[in-house]
Amino acid sequence: MKKMEDIIEELRAGFGESCLNYNIVHENEMRIGVNEVDVRRMAELLCRDKGMKLACMFASDETLLPSGEFAIYYVFADAERGAFIIARMAVDSEKMSYPSVSDFIHSASFYEREIHDLFGIKAEGNESLKPMVFHGNWPEGEYPLRKTYDRSRKPAFASRRQEFMKVKGEGVYEIPVGPVHAGIIEPGHFRFSVAGEPIINLEAQLYFVHKGIEKMCEGMDFKKCFYVSERISGDETFSNALAYCQAVEKIAGVQIPRRAQITRVIFAELERLTSHLGDIGGVCLDIGYGFATFQFRMMRGWTYQLVEAVCTSRFLRSVNTPGGVRKDFLEGNEKRIIEMMIKIEKELLETIDIIKAKSLYIDRVENTGTLKKKTAIDLNATGPAGRASGVHYDVRKSFPYEAYGDMEFEVSMHNNGDVNCRLNVKLEECIQSIKLIMQGINMLESGSMCSKIDFLPPYVSALGYTESPRGENIHWIMSGENNDIYRYKVRTPSFCNWPALCEAVRGNIVPDFPIINKSFNLSYAGNDL
Amino acid sequence: MIKKIIQYPRLTQKYPKKPLDLPDFIGKPEIDNSKCTGCNECISACPSGCIVRDEKGVIGINLDECIFCARCEDVCASGAARMTSEFELAQKDRRLLRKTPLVIEERDIPDERYELIQREVKEKIKKIYGRSLQIRVVDAGSCNGCDYEINGLNNPFNDIERFGIRFVPSPRHADMLLVTGTATRNMELALIKTYNATPDPKLVVAVGACACSGGIFRDNYATRNGIDCIVPVDVYVPGCPPRPHAILYGILKALDRVGKK
Ligand code: SF4
Ligand code: SF4
Repeated sequence: MKKMEDIIEELRAGFGESCLNYNIVHENEMRIGVNEVDVRRMAELLCRDKGMKLACMFASDETLLPSGEFAIYYVFADAERGAFIIARMAVDSEKMSYPSVSDFIHSASFYEREIHDLFGIKAEGNESLKPMVFHGNWPEGEYPLRKTYDRSRKPAFASRRQEFMKVKGEGVYEIPVGPVHAGIIEPGHFRFSVAGEPIINLEAQLYFVHKGIEKMCEGMDFKKCFYVSERISGDETFSNALAYCQAVEKIAGVQIPRRAQITRVIFAELERLTSHLGDIGGVCLDIGYGFATFQFRMMRGWTYQLVEAVCTSRFLRSVNTPGGVRKDFLEGNEKRIIEMMIKIEKELLETIDIIKAKSLYIDRVENTGTLKKKTAIDLNATGPAGRASGVHYDVRKSFPYEAYGDMEFEVSMHNNGDVNCRLNVKLEECIQSIKLIMQGINMLESGSMCSKIDFLPPYVSALGYTESPRGENIHWIMSGENNDIYRYKVRTPSFCNWPALCEAVRGNIVPDFPIINKSFNLSYAGNDL
Repeated sequence: MIKKIIQYPRLTQKYPKKPLDLPDFIGKPEIDNSKCTGCNECISACPSGCIVRDEKGVIGINLDECIFCARCEDVCASGAARMTSEFELAQKDRRLLRKTPLVIEERDIPDERYELIQREVKEKIKKIYGRSLQIRVVDAGSCNGCDYEINGLNNPFNDIERFGIRFVPSPRHADMLLVTGTATRNMELALIKTYNATPDPKLVVAVGACACSGGIFRDNYATRNGIDCIVPVDVYVPGCPPRPHAILYGILKALDRVGKK
């Protein structure tokens, strides 16, 4: 492919002949080996000079494979050309460390901390390798994602003190919140440092719902593991399952039927619509705007009812399946879906007119919780959070999957980065989703729903990627023997957007925190895994 | 705006006074022993490992571990396994949900006193039956599916406040804890603290496969096999996630508002 050749040429130009061991798989994934000496130079070349982004970074314990080593993988995304560059670097087993790239790729810092917690591999030069996944109760020196760690072993509770960043100065005080919150939301601990009313710093301690998903999937049959991927984050069931299926289908070398592709787009957009309507309703609730809250809740209720009527599960569970879609859910339901979409679109447009004219609404959301474009890029803020801050990126456009390449839709963009912009992006995306669903229904052609997958070739890896309601969602799978999974890395958009949230609240007053938080609507489960 | 407010008739459903008028949805799976050919396909296919044969070789499902995924129905060639739309499944005794005997992990409750007054608790709530009930939700490691369904009880369609049931922000005001999730390692302490902060008499309802048994996340380094490893549970609501009505049924069951089954 042309674009891949271009990328190779560029790498050669910047790098000499030393990076010649590459291969191209699954059309748009380029694998290169890189060593410790070159990794920083390569990251610099790709991210700083070529404007690619670090989409994911993870470790893998490959000591049981012929190479017999730990490896670090860097996934660089070239959004313009629609290609991924996956660099693999072996880790020196004596030192168990590798050079950090976090000084010039800020988002790498979080991945490096995660790798340190789960594998005990240290990023040299990263000053802040503070525990992230594990809390004070986890003993030091236990690394569950190493293959030598038995999945069900629960080490004795330790009690280390948890340190938070201290902000010193006259009148500065701390407010600890959580992990059990006032509303019906997931657990997380927030440490606000506040002077008077404005928030100076927010540190979020997450991973309260860390269940060890990546570990439990290792050695699991790929058909069973699918059900775990559905349960990574309840409200993103379909996107996660879809990313998982894509990766498995690539490993198996299976092309899914056209009808299944379009069906997947329709369900993915239904999920986005449901999620966005819920978010907007949530912000309205926190503003204290009861009328709007109930409007959005009602519309969301409609989408839930529709989804349930079409596929019997409100969360789109057991809809996907590796190889396609489990049943022909849309057959006979086309009219019902179109009618509901028209009804929701009308209601939505009317509601938008009403709320946009209310100062009650505008005053609270405008200039609240601003995420600057530079920060958004540095932290790789993704999805509506990135697009509201002027980051023009949508996986559906840059890396078209399923049937998105053949469909017409616009990526909504705003530049101010405040709550208002995030809500506007979401409102516009609701309308686009409705359009996509109707387009999809019209594009449906008859055909089968599923290509059978019976066998996974061992030790093949692939990326699955989707634009979930919250943004770019990356799953990486390496198959093992006997149709099982060797390593499953999940990076949901929430992982990228949590640090962005902590930046966005700075300078805002504490009572605005719930609104800002809701406008990002991050998943704890999807982050903590 | 006013026009909008009066545009739609009442959305709230009449459940449980009137049965729900809903399309078929996935309820509990069932295996018809008379049709079963004994091929054991479903046993090896079940992602949650909850299809079992008891000591007599009779096949059955441990509902507390079932994630309602319908895979058993898909793989069963003889049509013995199928999904029903039954959702009123909550039970007070976890054993009633199971085919094979229960092995509960050892429980370490810091204060056993709460255990002893269990019976008294139930008597009291029954006496004050009819009074409003304050519920505190604790997510002890869910995938957030269950939390969304609990939230769904608040939407205009279910409107749980019509039963005098309210969700409260603090455990200090609560009569009942609705707990979701497997109880992860990092949430154990918070769950115990919340439990202890809730004044007596109190009820605990475990919502979803995770809270009932650990569900699909059983036996992992960071999870427990259900919250009853940590706190005593009054009612178990199976499902993954249980639909709002199933949760409502569980809450009402805890209050003995719904008939004994
Ligand atoms: S529905 Fe799924 S989890 Fe439940 S018994 Fe059937 S296969 Fe097992
Ligand atoms: S029971 Fe199912 S829906 Fe509920 S938290 Fe567990 S995995 Fe999620």
